[in-house]
Amino acid sequence: MPGLTYDAGVGAAVVDSGADGPPEPSAAELHLLVTRVVRARVGNHPAAEDLVQETVARVLAASDRIDGGIEAYAVTTARNVIATMWRDEARFQRYQPRMVDLDEPDAPDMGVLAGEDQVAVRRALESLSVQERSLLLAHEVDGTSLATLAAREGTTAGALGAQLRRLRARMRAEYLIVASHREPPTERCRPVLVAVALRDQRRWREAGVDDHLAGCDFCADVAGPLLESSQQDSGRVAIDVAKDHDVVEARVAVRRLAADLGFDRSDVTLVATVVSEIARNIVKFAERGRMTFEPARSRPGIRIVARDRGPGIEDVELAMRDGYTTYGGLGLGLPGARRIMDEFDIESVPGRGTTITMTRYRKDTR
Amino acid sequence: MDTEPALFSILRQGQVLVASVHTALDDSQLLRLQRDLVGRVGTDRARGIIIDVAALDVLDSFGSKTLRDIAEIARLRGALTVIVGIQPDVAQAMVELGIGTGAVATALDLEEGMAHLAAALGPAWTP
Repeated sequence: MPGLTYDAGVGAAVVDSGADGPPEPSAAELHLLVTRVVRARVGNHPAAEDLVQETVARVLAASDRIDGGIEAYAVTTARNVIATMWRDEARFQRYQPRMVDLDEPDAPDMGVLAGEDQVAVRRALESLSVQERSLLLAHEVDGTSLATLAAREGTTAGALGAQLRRLRARMRAEYLIVASHREPPTERCRPVLVAVALRDQRRWREAGVDDHLAGCDFCADVAGPLLESSQQDSGRVAIDVAKDHDVVEARVAVRRLAADLGFDRSDVTLVATVVSEIARNIVKFAERGRMTFEPARSRPGIRIVARDRGPGIEDVELAMRDGYTTYGGLGLGLPGARRIMDEFDIESVPGRGTTITMTRYRKDTR
Repeated sequence: MDTEPALFSILRQGQVLVASVHTALDDSQLLRLQRDLVGRVGTDRARGIIIDVAALDVLDSFGSKTLRDIAEIARLRGALTVIVGIQPDVAQAMVELGIGTGAVATALDLEEGMAHLAAALGPAWTP
């Protein structure tokens, strides 16, 4: 068996050729041969030299197992090595898209926010009684059906559904209170926020939500997210009035609603003008208040309620008189509104605030 | 104050200032319009003012009072004011609510307003 050693340093090798048989090529010749084969196949590919080295190394490693025909073995090996490279490259290209990470990395504050969120949810859950909590979790988390739960509790699915609805509303209100990092300033805040979360018109009125929101900064802030979602349901719009620009906001809002309700252009402008006057009164005298616009209940029309917790009006009759003004205006705000509106009601308690409720019906139904 | 962009523009044509309101104005912007116009009467030596309120959504008691104040202050400083472009629905609402512009002259549009000023200012008028 001829021994073959490869001296990579000088590219020469000592061939210990056997006494008979064709002479085996020297390592240098082998290198030349492999180079020719590889170059013929891959040209000036950057990996060409690596392929040559790889082939030569493999041939040399196997040389003691090859019995003659080492050139043929070298050529085949070179071909295999090249094929392997092409295959690897093809596979890499095929799977390259998988290297792209489509998930956005978490923002640095995500962890903190998620933590706060968890605390708020936990505190909200803790505000419920053990029984209420287990009921809520059984339905919302474990997915137990209402019917199953009702059978277990010995009640009806409807009653249970209503109870769950109230529990969810309490959770929403409690969550927002915790997330605000403040304590409700009055005892009425909690029931009011729950009523808002319930989106129930009757409860809304019973809890005096509008009245409370007009005067309570805390609730007005906290109830914001709840109000946005509930207003979309009923066509009801509420505007906090505190600054000059809120007067314009109120005008824009009432215009949009009146137009949606089918008022014609001149009526829309008339209503907007009245709203402008009332809103300005709030800014001037009460500093802060709340106007709500909603469809009238009985006939097509618009109902406008303006509430404030301002100083109130000392003499309502006097204020209602045409031309009476305390600030150099035209004195037309209140009397004008009373003249224009189909229904007009003003309640004012000195030191407690003023509530004006007025309705205008659409011309064709008046 | 006045850090926000004005919602109106005041252009000068000859001896006349033309103030165009671009959108609904709140009370402080109305007062700014008044302040700017009154100032410009002096700096531009204007003889006439045209206020185009076509883009105003409503003319309520404050809006019409401000317009009357502008006209009166300008009159005291020797300039005549014409309000143009009051929309039909706005006019109707003003009448129903008993809001008026008092003795201030009005005209249908800019062209009529210019004609009114030309007639009132007489030969001294140079467009």
